[in-house]
Amino acid sequence: MNKQESLAAERRRKTVLSIVLAVICIIYVLPVLSVVINSFKVNTFVKTDTFAIPTGEMWAGFSNFIKGMTFGNYPFWRSVTYSALITLVSTALILLFTSMAAWYIARVNSLLCKAIYYLCVFSMVVPFQMVMFTLSKTADSLRLNTPWTIPIVYLGFGAGLSIFMFVGFVKSIPLEIEEAASIDGCGPVRTYFSVVFPMLKPTMISVGILEIMWIWNDYLLPYLVLDINEYRTIPIHIQYLKGSYGTVDLGATMALILLSIIPVIIFYLICQKYIIKGVAAGAVKG
Amino acid sequence: MASVKLTKVKKVYDNKVVAVHDFDLDIKDKEFIVFVGPSGCGKSTTLRMVAGLEDISGGTVEIDGEVVNDLQPKDRGIAMVFQNYALYPHMTVYDNIAFSLRLQKVPEDVIYEKVTNAAEILGITDYLMRKPRALSGGQRQRVAIGRAMVRNSKVFLMDEPLSNLDAKLRNQMRAEIILLRQKLDTTFIYVTHDQTEAMTLGDRIVIMKDGYIQQVGTPTEVFEMPKNLFVAEFIGAPKMNIMRTELVAEGGKYFVTPFGAKIEVDGEKGKALAAKGQKSAAIDLGVRPEHIVLAKQGEGIPCVLEVNEMMGSELHLHVYTEDGTRLIVRVPTIGLDPAERESLVQGKKLFVTFEGKVMHFFDTESGENLLND
Repeated sequence: MNKQESLAAERRRKTVLSIVLAVICIIYVLPVLSVVINSFKVNTFVKTDTFAIPTGEMWAGFSNFIKGMTFGNYPFWRSVTYSALITLVSTALILLFTSMAAWYIARVNSLLCKAIYYLCVFSMVVPFQMVMFTLSKTADSLRLNTPWTIPIVYLGFGAGLSIFMFVGFVKSIPLEIEEAASIDGCGPVRTYFSVVFPMLKPTMISVGILEIMWIWNDYLLPYLVLDINEYRTIPIHIQYLKGSYGTVDLGATMALILLSIIPVIIFYLICQKYIIKGVAAGAVKG
Repeated sequence: MASVKLTKVKKVYDNKVVAVHDFDLDIKDKEFIVFVGPSGCGKSTTLRMVAGLEDISGGTVEIDGEVVNDLQPKDRGIAMVFQNYALYPHMTVYDNIAFSLRLQKVPEDVIYEKVTNAAEILGITDYLMRKPRALSGGQRQRVAIGRAMVRNSKVFLMDEPLSNLDAKLRNQMRAEIILLRQKLDTTFIYVTHDQTEAMTLGDRIVIMKDGYIQQVGTPTEVFEMPKNLFVAEFIGAPKMNIMRTELVAEGGKYFVTPFGAKIEVDGEKGKALAAKGQKSAAIDLGVRPEHIVLAKQGEGIPCVLEVNEMMGSELHLHVYTEDGTRLIVRVPTIGLDPAERESLVQGKKLFVTFEGKVMHFFDTESGENLLND
């Protein structure tokens, strides 16, 4: 009797939990869904029938996409190019330099290494808004205000999280593997590239995905640092769809947002199993 | 092939902990030497100093007559096998073994020949294209040995290579290491905490404790003539029985009087004591479990059986004497009468004895063997 009651209670608990989780899922998916729906909707209906499926006179086809991409006098492909350039170069720099730094920090037991490590960890809790004005001024005076040099700024901001994750993972790798490499004839550089780097792959992928998603979607930092008449990333470009009298072409905005999130979603879906693996590997052993 | 000479080698860590004190040892060319001792005795640290993985705080390490203190591990002409295999997880078995040769820019056809050769000797030819994670512990350790083999190094270092394997596999690999040693015919330094490995593998054994060498000698020497109580108890399984008793010199003869019994020290041991001019004194008497025998009722040392362990070919009888001292007696089952065997149950009163020639005498204060030179 008691057993049956507790089984029934367990089942009820699971049902309630499922419903709660389903509602949370819908809440999360709804904005993305509304972007998809509205990107195919005629602009005037976006405000009035936000969640309606675009049919009949609401259906705009691909006109929003064409409008968004050809809008204004700044070509959309340039924004895509700059976004891609900044994202890829920054991520590559972050992965290479922070993994090297993390390897050193994890393996050399000195006060300086500890200080650098805690500085990096601390940098994660400093909000960007706190440093953004001094940063934009510094970046300007150091000529870090171009798409080719802004990756250095991203390297600084991305270092905290990635060093934290890499250090955790490196500590879980047995030191003997590196010692075996040194007996086999590797110097430090060779040991890093031939032995340590390949072993860091799971963490590389998860750090890479996190950094790519952040940099690709970032609006504030490039807006403050870059010369926006010359260089615009996709988020900045989308913002320019706002008309001069406060009118916004919402249909075209939605279309461009959809275009900008497609690569990230595809990338995430391909690599998501590594994210969990990498985060867990760093966290548990760190 | 090379000799290794350690002179006053010392290891002091940053926190001032001294791991190895003035370690002196001459290892001859092609010798198989085993460092053995309990955890934290400095055996692995000493090996790692020879390998160059640990800085040497004092003294010199020479390999083949050349001081290698300041040489990188790769330049010392050594190969090393680690306890946890330390294979490169992202490389296949073939690439793992070939790695050091590729770094030396050895031509690929030579590498192929060497790797397949080593794989054949170790019986891992079928796994050459697998990654280490797809191998069992024993196979991984073979790969690690293969990786060390192809380097044609002067000295082969092994740091507890069998510790991660199960008991059966360990016995098998131990035999394989003996065969491997014959094939390679080079100098080996082998670290272990297992005295069985030390006894079966080593030409000479170095027994260490707290960073100090306790004794260096052949397996027979350290077993039959342990320099002190520590060595006596460490070598041999089950460990040597130690009894606090009196050594009595009486009319040119020596007797020991453990637990009321009076046993004459005869043979070589008695002569050696006489030659030393040993006087009557309190001593720690050591007798190995296999040297204690069951005696007739009323003869020898009276004791009570506490535990009877059936080991197959022998019984390990754990007994305690009148004053509570615990002794272990190894009794071969082959000569034992079945009725007597059945009667060996907890609480049974027994009498045990031993001969004079199997006794070891240790100073009660220093623990040194009274017959040391």
